[in-house]
Amino acid sequence: MARLLEHHSKQLLRKLKIPVPLGEIASTPAQAAEIAQQIGFPVAVKGLIPVGKRGKAGAIGFAATKEEVLQQAEQILGMTVSFYPIEALLIEQKLAIKQELYLSITIDKASQSPVIIASTLGGIDIEELSREHPEKVSKTSIDPLIGLPEYKTVEIWSDLGLTGKLLRQASTILMRLYQMFVNFDAVIVEINPLTITEEDALIAAACVLSIDENALYRQPEIAKMVQPGSDRAWRPLTELERKLIAAGEDEAYRGTARYTEFNGGDIGFMCGGGGASLLLMDALRRFGGRPANYSEIGGNPPESKVYQLCCGVLSKAGVKGLFLAHNITNNTQIDVMAKGVVRAFKDMGIDPAQFPVVVREAGTHDEEGKQIFQAAGIEYHGDDITLEEAARLMVKKMRQFYPDYDRGSDK
Amino acid sequence: MAILVGKESTVVIQGITGREASMVTKLMLDYGTPVVAGVTPGRGGQKVEGVPVYDTLKAACHVHELDTSIIYVPPAAVLGAVWEAVANNIQLILIVTENIPQLDVIKILQLAKNYGVRIVGPNSVGIISPAERCKIGAIGGDKTERCFVPGCIGVISRSGGMTAESSWMVKRAGYGVSTSISIGGDALIGTPPQALLPLFEADDETEAVLLFSEPGTTFEEEVADSLEEGKFTKPLIAYVAGRFTEDMPAGTVFGHAAAIIEQKRGYPSAKMERLAKAGAYVATQFDDIIELLQRVLG
Repeated sequence: MARLLEHHSKQLLRKLKIPVPLGEIASTPAQAAEIAQQIGFPVAVKGLIPVGKRGKAGAIGFAATKEEVLQQAEQILGMTVSFYPIEALLIEQKLAIKQELYLSITIDKASQSPVIIASTLGGIDIEELSREHPEKVSKTSIDPLIGLPEYKTVEIWSDLGLTGKLLRQASTILMRLYQMFVNFDAVIVEINPLTITEEDALIAAACVLSIDENALYRQPEIAKMVQPGSDRAWRPLTELERKLIAAGEDEAYRGTARYTEFNGGDIGFMCGGGGASLLLMDALRRFGGRPANYSEIGGNPPESKVYQLCCGVLSKAGVKGLFLAHNITNNTQIDVMAKGVVRAFKDMGIDPAQFPVVVREAGTHDEEGKQIFQAAGIEYHGDDITLEEAARLMVKKMRQFYPDYDRGSDK
Repeated sequence: MAILVGKESTVVIQGITGREASMVTKLMLDYGTPVVAGVTPGRGGQKVEGVPVYDTLKAACHVHELDTSIIYVPPAAVLGAVWEAVANNIQLILIVTENIPQLDVIKILQLAKNYGVRIVGPNSVGIISPAERCKIGAIGGDKTERCFVPGCIGVISRSGGMTAESSWMVKRAGYGVSTSISIGGDALIGTPPQALLPLFEADDETEAVLLFSEPGTTFEEEVADSLEEGKFTKPLIAYVAGRFTEDMPAGTVFGHAAAIIEQKRGYPSAKMERLAKAGAYVATQFDDIIELLQRVLG
């Protein structure tokens, strides 16, 4: 799931002929003031970051004069919200609001189909809205094989009480939004609020759009707007994460090698696959270890992916041990894992005799793997021990190498 | 007996000529799986490990009785392959492919509902019934017996790798498995755990079920409902991995795509509590599973 910045999502809305407010991007207060003067006051000043609840965080302001724009822009540009520094602003025409509607389309995991959520009470959080006024929220599941029939777009708004020209306009917008959802492989598209202006025009004042990363191969236009892998971090990707994502894309269809950096920690964590990594992370922490990262490797990756991930894990500042463990593999070749890891140790100039390493790798070609690890002086375990026993061993080794280990450290 | 796959299965592989599919075909045949046909458009008339390849599933169905299909095609081609399978009356479809666009997945699942077909996956490593010497998918690799020996425990896992490791733990405890199923690591899948419980309930061979779970989704909550409603009365042993994710900011994916915690929903600790309350044996450490199995089965 990759979230687009607001100006990008509005660019796409405009493309589907869904009206949006006039607006442009500014990266300095002076630029913001200039744009505001062109658009005309009052304006909204919005921080451009790919996270929600910007209003509550103070990253959205309104200004009626040039001085106010300068002041708001100055303030918002310096902010960091949910770990994202605000580096650009969207300066938009502030609409004269008569009423606000809510409209979104997402995939409902329970019914396994797209669901349209609409309400005549817009402008507030949908969770809050559903809790406080469930009777004002309409939810409609759509058969993905059939799509959205036109009559349903009218039914939905008519049942909510819209009439006349507004009913027709809102139905047209819903139809276009569904097209947008399907055409751009969206995971969620939300217009909140969908503003009814004093002139009775409907305008999408704010928009959230997240795209399915698995579909980016058929969305070349959108692929340029998003940072892949951003759903695997809660903040902008670090330099190391970006580097490892690029490395992983070398041979996209064979093997996975994912990496998420933690603050602090001293054990390099190189585990797989998806489920075993979760289990091993829990176990390491429970036994008193301090992992420096999360990772996940599997799906029989080529040696180059193993090598690059291992170098990445070891290169993080403060890492002074390596935990290399895996569930018993169905197809991941242990000899290939061993070659990649041994080469990484060599190239990083790390002597396994001076550096705590625990290996628990069993499965396809593990006899050959064992020989490669042992020839390089790395202690090897296969299915002689369980995953949790391996995690316990890792922490024990850290304590042996670093007698002060339990006193803790920041690095 | 076992569930889903067994001696009676007749298996076709869609995308059989691919690198991984042909490798896995050999492993399945070596184990004893009745793989009788393969389909790859444009490769009709060829053979893979002695298995005849057809251009279409329709042509394969003219020659063979087929009830089970394994889909080994790239993400962009899976929807088309599933459509072909349901149109040719395949009853069980295993989707191995991962990273399929979500809009394709919901169409696939809708097709399965419309045609009354069972889908396991996407992103499943396979299903195995050791007593019947039948496995579909890469499950077990080239040394199947290392992890999968015949026995009385049903294994359901949200992780492909942990399907093997969990079955190995069963073996380490002194037992074996009736059927082990990798259900797929995505949130949108054809057969969630609660859909398998009635099958294991009806299977005479199965005396208990072991469930490997992860953060995210409402699968475990629905399993707990099944227990409380009396739909599953055999002992259920459950382990939920990923408690560390509760200390991480919400909305981040760790591990599989389904392992995302959204607004505090999907916490492992809440799932464990809910399962325990419904009467499941919940292991706090994975190693505890061995003792729990021994306690439950005596």
